[in-house]
Amino acid sequence: MKKRVTLTFPKRSVQMPVTYRLAKDFNVAANIIRAQVAPNQIGKLVLELSGDIDQLDAAIDWMRSQDIGVSFSNREILIDEEICVHCGLCTGVCPTEALSLDPQTFKLVFTRSRCIVCEQCIPTCPVQAISTNL
Amino acid sequence: MRTIADINDKINRHCVVVWTIEELKARVVEAGVTQAATEVDVVTTGTFEPMESSGAILNLGHTDPPIKIRQCWLDGVPAYSGFGAVDLYLGATQVAESSDGEEMRERGGGYVIQDLIAGKPVHLRAVGQVTDCYPRASFETTITRDTINQFYLFNPRNLYQNFIVGVNGGDRPLFTYLGPLQPRLGNAVYSNPGAIAPLFNDPDLNLIGIGTRIFLGGGIGYVAWEGTQHFPLQKRLPNRTPIGPAATLALIGDAKQMDARWVRGCYFKSYGPSLMLGVGIPLPVLNEEVVARCAVQDQDLVAPIVDFSIPRRVRPIFGLVSYAQLKSGRIGIDGKSVRVAPLASIYLSRQVAIELKQWIEAGKFLLSEPVAPIPANQTFLSQDAWGSQIAID
Ligand code: SF4
Ligand code: SF4
Repeated sequence: MKKRVTLTFPKRSVQMPVTYRLAKDFNVAANIIRAQVAPNQIGKLVLELSGDIDQLDAAIDWMRSQDIGVSFSNREILIDEEICVHCGLCTGVCPTEALSLDPQTFKLVFTRSRCIVCEQCIPTCPVQAISTNL
Repeated sequence: MRTIADINDKINRHCVVVWTIEELKARVVEAGVTQAATEVDVVTTGTFEPMESSGAILNLGHTDPPIKIRQCWLDGVPAYSGFGAVDLYLGATQVAESSDGEEMRERGGGYVIQDLIAGKPVHLRAVGQVTDCYPRASFETTITRDTINQFYLFNPRNLYQNFIVGVNGGDRPLFTYLGPLQPRLGNAVYSNPGAIAPLFNDPDLNLIGIGTRIFLGGGIGYVAWEGTQHFPLQKRLPNRTPIGPAATLALIGDAKQMDARWVRGCYFKSYGPSLMLGVGIPLPVLNEEVVARCAVQDQDLVAPIVDFSIPRRVRPIFGLVSYAQLKSGRIGIDGKSVRVAPLASIYLSRQVAIELKQWIEAGKFLLSEPVAPIPANQTFLSQDAWGSQIAID
């Protein structure tokens, strides 16, 4: 099965080869969706983990024991069609181009599969049409 | 070729030919200006964008005993009351106050105007100055658009003829009236819908003047005056369109007839509340010149790229960019490709033009002759404070 997780690393664990350990010790494949890691800073990594359910849970327990924060991002972005005015403002701040304007109709297009739930778009929307489901 | 009276006669006889501005542009590309001018009587233009210099006049009708209102709040948003006893002006960008007087920046006049137009109840609290004529000291009630005597929008500045493209060349995020601008040229925002916008298609305001009947917020409105910051002397291209902010219009219209679909309260993060408004202007095809001006395309129009990281009245600019480039979603600045987003809704701007076209075809909307022109030679005076004039050499 697959789980999307956000990892938060304390400064000292940034160097740790997490994805290697996940693969080797737990047979869990980690697909990096977004990474924000730099030496001596708190790091953030959004991963899609796939593997056997028990091994996934064990991998998550292990990461937590290493002081890595694990949160489940089964959060989703919701766009209220009734409220959206198709201004397009959100498209300029979306880092993955999950939000874009149709070049012909200039209506907002949301490509959910590209969304990494970074939530940059939420405060940008001037009519509060965007929210998360949590 | 045609007069406004001829056109109105055709509207009354249901044989008028009305095209949206995009239909006209397409026809000109296909058949040329002369041919198109023989075929069409009226061209409709529209825009839907934030227009913060907007507000509503409310006359409550007198209470018994009467009150001379000196302070007033509508759903917590202060309304100006320093004129007639029960006259109020509710500004779109006025910030709400909680009952203990604290600012609630995320709610403002624009939302209250939208709620009233939508028919929702709004709480009113008023403090009066007791006089012999007006003995009442305070008043609290719930109003709706149907329980107040008069309710009309009177917007000192709407419809900028062109505007700017905002970017942030600094190293911290900026929260502006164009929305968030990310540091190091992280994004760019433009706010005019380009070639479909009303005032780009009548660049010298030959057709639009005081008294021109328009589509305002889904109801019928009028051009009341030149808008504040009106700057017709902005530099212009040979096609007469300005290269930055130029003419503006003050608009007026009965809000009781408006539709909340076209009047939307909005909030820009860490900047404040505002109002998004749909405005449409019909352009009568009096002669070929009208069609030639309306044929202008996005690649023939430009806006200046302005760096908001320098908080001065005349900000540095990174040059001019065409609306065709802006609408492609990316522009080049200093060799860097920057994602650019609109702030005007191009989709809803088109819908305004379509709706106005339908009104005219249905005989619900007649054109009006302007009663006086909008000044064309007015210079611009600024205080040292921030203004909207952009001087570009
Ligand atoms: S959450 Fe982030 S990635 Fe998803 S649509 Fe919003 S800005 Fe784009
Ligand atoms: S910013 Fe909000 S209103 Fe504008 S297109 Fe995005 S979701 Fe729609």
